[in-house]
Formats: sequence, C-alpha cells, structure tokens
Amino acid sequence: MTPVATRLAGLLALVAAGCSGRPPEPPPTPPNPVATIREQHLPNIELVTHEGRRVRFYDDLVKGKVVAINFMFATCRNACPESTQHLVEVQHALGDRMGRDVTFLSISLDAERDTPEVLRGYAEAHGAGPGWYFLTGKHDDIELLRHKLGAYELDPVIDADRTQHTGLVILGNEPAGRWKAITALGKPVRIRQAIERTILPVTEWPTGAAVVNEVPYEENERGKEVVTADEVAKLLVRDP
Amino acid sequence: MFSRRDILKIGLASGAYGALGPGPRRRVFADNLPSSPRTTPFVVALPIAPIAQPTAAFATRADPGDCVNVDGSTAFHVHGPRVVPTNSQFFLIHEQARPHSFHPQLPANVIWGYNGMAPGPTFIARSGTPFLVRFVNDLPQNDPVGIGEPISAIHRHGGFQAEEDDGYPIDTFCTGQSRDYFYPNEPADGLVQNEESTLWYHDHAIDITGPNVYRGLAGFYLSFDAVDSIAGELDTNPQALRLPGRMVSLPSGEQFREFDVPIVIQDKLFDRNGFLVFDTFDHNGFLGDKFVLNGAIQPFFRVARRKYRFRFLNGSNARFYQLFLSNGQPFVAIATDDSLLEHPVTVKSFEIGPAERVEVVIDFTNTTLGQEIFLVNRLQQTDGRKPDQLVSPGTQLLKFIVDRDAADPSRVPDTLRPVTVGPQQLLPQVKVKRTFDFERSDGAWQINGEFFDENRIDAKPKRGTPEIWTLKSGGGWAHPVHVHLTDFFILSRNGSTPPVLERGRKDTVSIGGPDFGDVKILLPFPANFRAVPRPVTGRFVFHCHNIEHEDMRMMGQFDVQP
Repeated sequence: MTPVATRLAGLLALVAAGCSGRPPEPPPTPPNPVATIREQHLPNIELVTHEGRRVRFYDDLVKGKVVAINFMFATCRNACPESTQHLVEVQHALGDRMGRDVTFLSISLDAERDTPEVLRGYAEAHGAGPGWYFLTGKHDDIELLRHKLGAYELDPVIDADRTQHTGLVILGNEPAGRWKAITALGKPVRIRQAIERTILPVTEWPTGAAVVNEVPYEENERGKEVVTADEVAKLLVRDP
Repeated sequence: MFSRRDILKIGLASGAYGALGPGPRRRVFADNLPSSPRTTPFVVALPIAPIAQPTAAFATRADPGDCVNVDGSTAFHVHGPRVVPTNSQFFLIHEQARPHSFHPQLPANVIWGYNGMAPGPTFIARSGTPFLVRFVNDLPQNDPVGIGEPISAIHRHGGFQAEEDDGYPIDTFCTGQSRDYFYPNEPADGLVQNEESTLWYHDHAIDITGPNVYRGLAGFYLSFDAVDSIAGELDTNPQALRLPGRMVSLPSGEQFREFDVPIVIQDKLFDRNGFLVFDTFDHNGFLGDKFVLNGAIQPFFRVARRKYRFRFLNGSNARFYQLFLSNGQPFVAIATDDSLLEHPVTVKSFEIGPAERVEVVIDFTNTTLGQEIFLVNRLQQTDGRKPDQLVSPGTQLLKFIVDRDAADPSRVPDTLRPVTVGPQQLLPQVKVKRTFDFERSDGAWQINGEFFDENRIDAKPKRGTPEIWTLKSGGGWAHPVHVHLTDFFILSRNGSTPPVLERGRKDTVSIGGPDFGDVKILLPFPANFRAVPRPVTGRFVFHCHNIEHEDMRMMGQFDVQP
C-alpha cells in the first residue's frame, strides 16, 4: 500500500470509530497527572513522627509540598549511615530552606524496633533539624508506601532484605506533579542540586557549567588494564 | 464506510486472533498500573513513515547554550555556525505535539514526534552526501499529559558523527530553540566495511530519555552506498547487491520505498479510557501490554508473493522480543544493528533487545494468495529485569496478508559486506582492556560502582587504537549496552564464540542474566572524519539502553584522546 493509502486507511478507521449508530458519547478526557500520581503513588497511610505526632502521609506530609523521601532504619549498618550522612550534609547546605521550601521524610523499615523514641534519638544523634521527619507506622502500610514510591526490588529475596531499599531519595513537588528519584549514595552536592530543582520553577534553576563544575572535574578509569601480548595471542587463536 | 460494529465483525471474523488479543496480561508489580483496554488486532494497516524531504540550503546556526536540562546543566558542546561541505543536503525537522491514533478503538493521544509523527520521517541517506539536519523544538512548555520534558538532544544511534553532533546528553535545546546536526554519511575511517545500514534517531536528553522516547521521539535513518544502494533491486551496477527494495515515485511527486520496510516495535500501556500511561516511579524498566508497530497497535501488512527486506528495530524502553513467523518459515538475516553481515544467515527466530536492529529478508514466494502469516513474539517478559522464557503460542504482533503477485528482481547474494579489518587485524594493536560491571546496587544503577556524573570521565581511549572491553552484569539483570561513536565486534559471550547473529558488527549488545552473561567486545575507535576533515576526539557516552536504567544514570563517558 502506498503511504498515502496507508494514511487514508488509518483516517477511515478513525472516522469509523466515531460513527456508530448511537448518539456520540462525550470523548474521554486525558487524565490529570497530579491526580493520577496522588491516586496511584501517594497512599494516605497513618504514620507517627519522631516527635510522637500522628500524621497522614498524603494529607499532612506531602500535599502541597516539596519532599525528599528516603527509607532507613535505626540499626541499619549498610547503606543507611552513608545515606543519612549525605542527607545531613544536604540539610546543612540547604540552611533555612529546610522545612520552609523542602521537607525530608525518612521512613523506617523497622516499625517494630523503631519507635518514635528510638527515631528521636536517631534524629538527635545525627543532628537532624527542623523540616526533617523520621517516621514509623504499621509495617504493612509502610511496605505499601515503599512499593508505591518505587523503592522495591523485583527479586523477592532481595526485596525482603530491607538494607537494599535505603539507597534512593525520591523527590517530589506534589502540586507541580514533578517526581523523580536519585541515589542517596551519590555526591551530596548532586542531591542538593536535585532538591533545589524540585523546589524551584524551571526558570529559576541554577544552571550551566557552574552546576556541572560544583563537583570538580575527575578522571577515573576504573577497570582499565594493560593487555599482554600473551592474552592477545590467545584471543587470536580462538578467533581464526 | 465502516461502523464500529463492522470493525468488531472484522475482528471476530479473524477468529482466534482476536482471542489471543494483546498476549499475556501484564503482571503489575506494585499494583499501581492498569491493564490496557481491549483492542481488536489487525484492523489497521501498518503505517509507513514518509521519507524526510530535503529543503533549500540554509546557513547553519550557533548551538543554543542556555537550554537548562533537568540536571541543571546546559550544553557542553556549543559551537558557532559551522561550514559544511557544498554537497550537503539540508533538512528541517520540527518536534511537535500532535494527536495520534494508536488504534481506532482508542481515543487520539497527543504524542511528541519528529514533524509531529511517531515514528518520525525516515531519512534516506547515500554515503558520500552529508546531511545537515536542523531539529527545531516546538514541543509545548506546559504539557498537560505529564510524560516527558520539552528538552531535546538528538542521537543518531549507530551513526558515525562528531561529538557535538552525537546527542551528548547535556547538549540540549529547549522549546523555541533549534540545534543543527551534521551527519557525514561516511563509513568510519573510510573503510567500506563500515558503511552504515539501519540507524535510528531518538531523543537523548539527560535523565528524561525514557519518557521522551516513549512519548514518540524516534525515527529511522537508513543509509545506503554503491553496493547496498538506494536503487536496490533495480540497480544495474554489477557490483550492486540488489537486495529487496526500490524507490517508487507517486504522481504527487512523493517518494516511498517499496519492498524494503522499516518496522519499529514498541510496547505501550494505556489507561481504561485509552490514554497513554507512563510510570516515572518505575526505575526497573517500563513495560507496556500493547504492541505498537510503526505507531499502530497490532497492524496488518499486505504483501506480494516475493522477497521483502524488513528492518526491525526494537524501540521499546525495556522489553526484549524473540520473533518467529507463524508458518514456521525462516528469516534470512542480512544485517545486525548498523552493519550488513558478511554473509546472510538463515534463522528460525531472532532475539532483539532494546535499541538493537535486525534486518531480515522474508520470502513470500511460496505462499498462497490469501494466506495470512503472523509475526509472533514468543519471548515473555513480566518486568524490567530480563526476559523470562519462550512461551507458546506467544503474541501476534503483525499480520502479513499475501494478496498479489509481483515481479522480484531482488536477490540475497552469499557475500554481503566483507570485513577487511576484523579481529585478526585489530587485536595485535590492542594495548588496553577495560572491564565495566553494570550493577544494581541499593536500588540504583551503576557502572563500576559509579553513577554517571557530568564532570567525570570514565575512560580515555586513543583515537584509531582498538580496545577490548569486558561488559558484565550481576544480580540477574539484563542490560542492553550501547556504545556511541564506534561499533564493535563481539569476541565472546560467556567465554564462548557468540551466536551466529552476533558475529557481525554491533553497536548495542545485551548482557547479564543467565542467557546473556558477560561479553567481551573489540572496539576499533575510529581515527578520522573525512567529509569535514578532522581527527575523532572528544566526549561520547556509553550506557544501558533499558532507558529507565539509563535515566537512573547507568551511563559512563569516554573522552577520545588525539
């Protein structure tokens, strides 16, 4: 079929779809992405802050806000100390924007042991300031939230290992419908930059070479080795 | 005229095909996503993208340097107007939001496409005639759909082009801006063996390539030379391969390519009202449950009883396919990725990972008029991790309807594109080997323990000096790894000779999981550009082409040294 005929056929099919005998139904309207994200990713589960306050995840912590969310637990000895340390550095870099422009939500994966008191101790020990909430709640609720926010592993064995879920920071500007994730284990500068971009409208982002160069230029040829003549000879034999 | 009911009848008339529908239901992991509504298969003809038409020559422009990426960076390569060879052809392509019908039973979806089309117009290039393509970003700044960002970098995948024309992920242009890309249309280092075949162009903007490509920003770029020529089967040059395919001019002056059919396969997901769904919370690799070929869900294609060349491109974000013909007929594979094979290879099926291309000849000569043959995907995949297993009967993607006879002057010669500089010649020059371990670690994607950083160089190969890279993946994840600038030979897969379809040149290779394992590749790293003479130097990226992994920074960069 010629391209013109192909397109014509497509057009006919389109028209056909719209002219059944019944009165035309109003065409469905595309979904609103902000509402879709709320419905599908932001369950309104009940949580308790490290200060002992009962809160709802969507209504009280996320709605209308810019948030940086990570998962942790107080006794975690793998990635958590590094993630938390990075977030502490970011907190200091953000200064008085913490709590005003962005809220940190660190959600415990060990609801049983991480009581509000334990989390309060953890927050104090790490110097977490205003605008940073450590949260605990019902295990099943938090598992639901973790999956909905994309902090899960497809392999059920790895998924059951909670130390595997502590490496992400999920960044959201709820009213703008802008959500992304970055690694908590990357350079704190990059985390802070990503948070700034989540807060600010695009037109006000810090930009350009200064952003790139805030992490100094680096060459790191990890995995480079010199090839020996022996090795090449072996490959040549194998590939006649 | 057809009514909706007639279309349903057509669907029912095709009996079992309707029942097979979209194939196995998507297993929705986090219970976040819907399943797409039912659509009747094979009611729409396979769309064929129009051929990109050259325009009058124009003066090249300086590249915009002020487009802000989602990582806050602005373009790294910013050049003033450039001088291009006088024989260059000029093209103007607009990235536009336009309504698009994936299927007559679904509402129109506003896609983002090159010239408003998905797939975009097909470039037809002849080696020796460079192209200067100005891509203009007309995408809406406040898009209500929420899939993608109106920021673009264009990568001509598999193409040999300079660093500023490669779609380096931070070399972007924003709404209202344009960027000029110079495509030399020449084989790397002038070697005939490196003449390019099926390339594709797609968005490559940092951190948002997945949604932007999913939204529609992809198209074909076919390259021809004196041997694999545009005249194709009608070429009178005795050196010409005369593979199936020819140019046909319509009375309107419009040209199209007959018997040589590019087909991009993508999987997409729709909500219950038929609107496109994408999940930015899924970092494993987004899967759809509808199979879209050249922009249409499960189309049909009328064929004559003769040979056809099909150029399959897997343009999916994360899905692998293994393709069969329902009548058990084999494919004659003639090219993989950007290169014709040395010799055609007959296969019962072929696997194709994200971004890979496989070109095959299908011979319908011995079919009967009225016969229906299906292109079937039998590879099941339920998440972004890796393909699961072959299943039967699989999912019918495309229906061929044999409906006529046609003369067939085409042939498939025993020798297609001889390799004159292969591993035997290159290996003795190798001085450096590198190992890149593609890892999932703490919920994120790394290469050798690092995420892509805009300001870190991960390798410094020397131009014109081949290297051996070992690509590994742990944890049972498959990664289709793509290296920019240079295509490569696969020396071994899991220590053994690679399978038949991996013995040609490739620009993308799947690694990891029990099936793919580790691969050792030999990369020539070309030395010179000729159309605009200059040494090959500078920054290029390599990355996982499961685009969600790429966007989560499973990417590195090498800086080719003079």
